[in-house]
Amino acid sequence: MRPILLQGHERSVTQIKYNREGDLLFSVAKDTVVNVWYSVNGERLGTYNGHTGAVWCVDVDWDTKNVLTGSADNSCRLWDCETGKQLALLKTSSAVRTCGFDFSGNIIMFSTDKQMGYQCFLNYFDLRDPQQIEDNQPYMTLPCSESKITSAVWGPLGEFVIAGHENGEINQFSAKSGEVLKTAKEHTKQINDMQSSVDLTMVISASKDNTAKLFDATSLDHIKTFKTERPVNSAAISPIMDHVVMGGGQEAMEVTTTSTRIGKFEARFFHAAFEDEFGRIKGHFGPINCVAFHPDGKSYSSGGEDGYTRIHYFDPHYFEFEFEG
Amino acid sequence: MRDTEDMEADAEFEEGEEPSFSDPEDFEDDTSDQELLEDILKERPQEADGIDSVIVVDNVPEVGPERLEKLKNVVHKIFSKFGKITNEFYPEEEGKTKGYIFLEYSSPAHALEAVKNADGYKLDKQHTFRVNVFTDFDKYMTISDEWETPEKQPFKDFGNLRHWMEEPDCHDQYSVIFEAGERTGIFSNDAKEAIIVEERARWTETYVRWSPKGTYLATFHQRGIALWGGEKFKQIQRFSHQGVQLIDFSPCERYVVTFSPLMDTKEDPQAIIIWDVLTGQKKRGFHCESSAHWPIFKWSHDGKFFARMTQDTLSIYEVPSMGLLDKKSLKITGIKDFSWSPGDNVIAFWVPEDKDIPGRVTLMQLPSRQEIRVRNLFNVVDCKLHWQKNGDYLCVKVDRTPKGTQGLVTNFEIFRMREKQVPVDVVEMKEGIIAFAWEPNGSKFAVLHGESPRINASFYHVKNNGKIELIKMFDKQQANSIFWSPQGQFLVLAGLRSMNGALAFVDTSDCTMMNIVEHYMASDVEWDPTGRFLVTSVSWWSHKVDNAFWLWTFQGRLLQKNNKDRFCQLLWRPRPITLLDPEQTKLIKKDLKKYSKIFEQKDRLSQSKASKELVDKRHTMMEDYHKYRELAMQMHQEQRPLRLDLRGGVDTDELDSNVDDWEEETIEFFINEEIIPIGDLA
Repeated sequence: MRPILLQGHERSVTQIKYNREGDLLFSVAKDTVVNVWYSVNGERLGTYNGHTGAVWCVDVDWDTKNVLTGSADNSCRLWDCETGKQLALLKTSSAVRTCGFDFSGNIIMFSTDKQMGYQCFLNYFDLRDPQQIEDNQPYMTLPCSESKITSAVWGPLGEFVIAGHENGEINQFSAKSGEVLKTAKEHTKQINDMQSSVDLTMVISASKDNTAKLFDATSLDHIKTFKTERPVNSAAISPIMDHVVMGGGQEAMEVTTTSTRIGKFEARFFHAAFEDEFGRIKGHFGPINCVAFHPDGKSYSSGGEDGYTRIHYFDPHYFEFEFEG
Repeated sequence: MRDTEDMEADAEFEEGEEPSFSDPEDFEDDTSDQELLEDILKERPQEADGIDSVIVVDNVPEVGPERLEKLKNVVHKIFSKFGKITNEFYPEEEGKTKGYIFLEYSSPAHALEAVKNADGYKLDKQHTFRVNVFTDFDKYMTISDEWETPEKQPFKDFGNLRHWMEEPDCHDQYSVIFEAGERTGIFSNDAKEAIIVEERARWTETYVRWSPKGTYLATFHQRGIALWGGEKFKQIQRFSHQGVQLIDFSPCERYVVTFSPLMDTKEDPQAIIIWDVLTGQKKRGFHCESSAHWPIFKWSHDGKFFARMTQDTLSIYEVPSMGLLDKKSLKITGIKDFSWSPGDNVIAFWVPEDKDIPGRVTLMQLPSRQEIRVRNLFNVVDCKLHWQKNGDYLCVKVDRTPKGTQGLVTNFEIFRMREKQVPVDVVEMKEGIIAFAWEPNGSKFAVLHGESPRINASFYHVKNNGKIELIKMFDKQQANSIFWSPQGQFLVLAGLRSMNGALAFVDTSDCTMMNIVEHYMASDVEWDPTGRFLVTSVSWWSHKVDNAFWLWTFQGRLLQKNNKDRFCQLLWRPRPITLLDPEQTKLIKKDLKKYSKIFEQKDRLSQSKASKELVDKRHTMMEDYHKYRELAMQMHQEQRPLRLDLRGGVDTDELDSNVDDWEEETIEFFINEEIIPIGDLA
């Protein structure tokens, strides 16, 4: 099947997210636009209007009721998924880099960048207490003095947040006490993206050190490493196969002006157990910034620096592929 | 008359008396001559001066008084060339001169000139002058009679310097510089994977070079170069040359030439130094104005001579004396370029037009200096000399502007070196030349011509019957370089750097394209010394990402992709010339089928062994991974009640856990677009 091309952004796509059932795909970009699409045919459902700066992150709760976005306009916003109405505007002192709903959908977390004299903070709001939203007072805010958080996901039961930092560290921050429960120091450079497996038992981290690593979400044991020669911008775990997909690119400064590689930026597929690459899908005109598997594992999407989001449905060949041995 | 007593008592002058100006009796003069007469003293003849200006000439004819005058005249004529002779002494014994004379010059510098130039002067058949400065005799005579045996240096055993050639599977080695120069590694080339032999941090500060026969690896450092070799790559020799930038080996590996822009002084030429590799001794130093065309000194194929070109001059030196051949350079007005034949001691050089004299290419035999062939070139703008690897042919690429035209026309003038009187055939080229290369060991050559994007590759065969045949031309090639296999027959047309790494593998026996492939942004191509493998690489020095080297078969089948962090340079280790004589080589070729069978079996065994190893490894990895997943799923199951609780009793563990919740929706799919002009509807 030919890939579906979603043209809804004028600048690079920063994150894409499927909802739990997979029928919707959300995309956010540097052009301040937040789009939602039907993943089955690529038809755009609508946009969530309000942000005035680049939107860095997006999440949708398990019930597809609320949408959460974080932006460089120093705000984290809550939206009604169906109507597009803005439900809450949480102002911050610096750009919101990563955000997410916990398993129950009741608690939201987001991190702010280290900018303009302000430190990096990890903020927790409980949506069941409207006062917190009204007063813009998180029930807990954790300063991150050493290395700022660059990407984070919730743990399997909402007890902690698993955060990736600029220095390559991964920490579990308790959502109750705020203390660091576990640490993993496996990466040597900035973590660009963290994603969970669909059952939340594992997390995969994509790093500037040219690798992606698989960890157990609860113990933070390092399980696998996937090596490439380029910085990895995003990685995702297949819900049904022992596969991971990775997307990356080169530093903007290093892209030569004479490069004639049109449509050659590739998403790369690795076998999760063997750590070996087995396939690539071309198509983007620039580095890939984010990848995501559809929850049923039969397709995946990628958002690129070129502003396009591509949805690929796998052909039967993909499911039959086996390594010798 | 006064008494003396009276005089002493008088302190004052008396009228009419003159005051005494004599020094008091006990006065001592402490003003030195130096202070009083400094300028005059400078010219005071010194004893040492005299001796330094004296030379002793031996092997002077012993003559009687009747021929003495004539002898003195001849000697004077010869020796006054070097300065003013102020004194001469012809010792005699029993009426005849003794056979040696003393001459004194006005300054020691003249004496030195005399020694330099007149020593070895052949007066006649029986008399060749030997000239020395007098002070040297003194020096040599005062050498201690006590002979002290020099301290014995312990024998440094470096082991078998050819150890790598004994590798049972005939894996060639190559050097790799990576991590932007921080690490250098030596690998053994197995078709399946690169096997590390030795790897060191900061082994070299810039890059490395192999010696021509592969015996040594040379590394560069601020203070000079070092040579490494043997099984363990121990340091064999070190040459101190501050700021060294470039080196060159003699073909026999006996000498190494180093260049540093830092070291040159007027009196002591140090820019280029030639070293003896085995002893580590500095043999000779030379000035060097610019290192633009390195190597400045070009070696003859047997390492017996080395030559360099300066303004209007070709200087040829011989080993081991390191002196000029026949003690003088060749004056060749306007010489633009020269090069040695790789097969014989023949130099080819060319000079451009000079007023009425046409430009020409000359082939000169050495050491006889006989010109074996001269070819005139009319209206020539530029020439490039391309020798075939065995010296069988010389191709001179001549760029000319024919009279009355503006444009540039290129010819290839092919000199057939192995035929009597070296006949020359001309091939006219209609387009600009991008690259030219002879087939090693063969009689074909390949040319890339034209202009991007219409670049053509042509293959020619120099036949025995005097004809040069165009075998084939491929048009619209993405190529800017030609790389022949060192064994001939096969070549790669490569579009390096700006042409994004297009590669075409060609078999020139029938001029077919075996494979057209790509190594994106490849910057270098290196054949292994046997011609079985080819490495293409993307060097960090030319491109900052995707640094790697790929291994291909000679037919263009990709075997390995080796990514190395900030990979910079790969060089194959050269092989020494085979020890087999032609008879033995013929025998092996005859039995090739037999050997092939044995090798194939060996390969199959190792292949299946590797496969088996890989299969086993994968099996283990899969098992371990699944074990982990099982445990994770167990814990996941145990947490199910917690999950149900968090989501208000809604079971979301599977996508189809909640069928009741599903809604039915009709969605439109875009299938096709058809434009029907309204007119046609009617």
